[in-house]
Amino acid sequence: MDQKQYMRPLELAGRLIMENGGETYRVEETVNRMGAAFGLKGVESFAVPSGIFLSFECDDGSTETAVLRVHRGDTDLERVDEVNRISRQVEAGELNCEEALEALEEIAGENRIQSPALRMAAAAVCSGGFAVMFGGTWKDFLFSSLLGLFIEGITELLRRHHLQSMVSLLFGSFLATLIPICVSALLPGLSLVTEAIIAGALMPMLPGLAMTNAVSDTMRGDLMSGISHFAEAVLTAALVAGGALVAAAQFRVMGGMIR
Amino acid sequence: MIRGLLSAFVSSLLGTLGFAVLLRAPRRAWIPASVSGALAFTLYWFLMQVGASEASAIFCGSLAGSVLGHILSMRMKLIGTIFNALGIVAFVPGLGLYRCMELLAMGNPQEGVQAGVAAMVSILMIALGLSMGHWCFRVFRRSKRKGRQEKRRRDSTPGFTAS
Repeated sequence: MDQKQYMRPLELAGRLIMENGGETYRVEETVNRMGAAFGLKGVESFAVPSGIFLSFECDDGSTETAVLRVHRGDTDLERVDEVNRISRQVEAGELNCEEALEALEEIAGENRIQSPALRMAAAAVCSGGFAVMFGGTWKDFLFSSLLGLFIEGITELLRRHHLQSMVSLLFGSFLATLIPICVSALLPGLSLVTEAIIAGALMPMLPGLAMTNAVSDTMRGDLMSGISHFAEAVLTAALVAGGALVAAAQFRVMGGMIR
Repeated sequence: MIRGLLSAFVSSLLGTLGFAVLLRAPRRAWIPASVSGALAFTLYWFLMQVGASEASAIFCGSLAGSVLGHILSMRMKLIGTIFNALGIVAFVPGLGLYRCMELLAMGNPQEGVQAGVAAMVSILMIALGLSMGHWCFRVFRRSKRKGRQEKRRRDSTPGFTAS
């Protein structure tokens, strides 16, 4: 078998992990493990959140290298897990290069669109739960859940119109702040804990996984990826704050009209 | 207290479950990962109630989340990222970073910096908790493996009787 053919499964495995929200150390470990299992010598990999570099030595003394530009998509931890499982099977000798490539191509080719209804329900449960965790009552749970459901629905609609995720974040945080403060002002008798509702509704938009990846990459000494993930988290938080600030300013303008 | 504990457990269970779906974790990991996240948050809540500092409560919660995450990951043969991310999602200071940005943008630098420092402390405590959890798990696994090897060696040695 031409040794150059080994590059394809290595590339695909690394790309799939990175695109779907895996950590950079996992990309490097997976590629190195698979390369070693294929019997390749001098396998080297270097991953950063926006790209992967791979190389190995061929028997004729030449070096095979690949440089991949990676564009992060939606997080899909199930796919990351499946790629990880394939790499373990390769390591255990259960899959050869062709079989591994076939399995990886199958994963890459699947068009797994999560049902919008499921995402909306998840956002509702998540928002409600966090509203109570941030000091709200079970009444706030209900309100925050409805808000989370509505915002996820709007975000889904924006996504369908191919609007950038930045715009959806700004718009989502704008609504998550404006609606509760307006309802609290209009219906003071409800005595809602507005801050908890806002915090709960903002949670699905906040960079939880980026922060976790930043921590785990930094802990493993991969400062470049850690800082990159941290910057992503700060930028997301800034965007969410931006939307919320615009909503607060809008409310001040509308305040006179409400009263 | 019991009511508060229950409320903390149920709310964090729901919050983590929502995140599990949004992060597209495998279906069979939804409930175990949510329970692990809820237990970690309930521990944090309890420690806060008995007067522990926020930093130490976050550290203990993350440590619990990390240890549980490693155990679940090994038992269920799924990647650790799923359980680690969901085990500590309740402590990740996304909201703290948001508050920091909000205060800075509203022209309130002193409070903004304070919120930023508090978020950084939380991040450090999470990192410490995660690495301690990882270390504890490795030590536990190594000692278990050593015990198994020892037992196998004793079993295979003819005429050896355990005292």
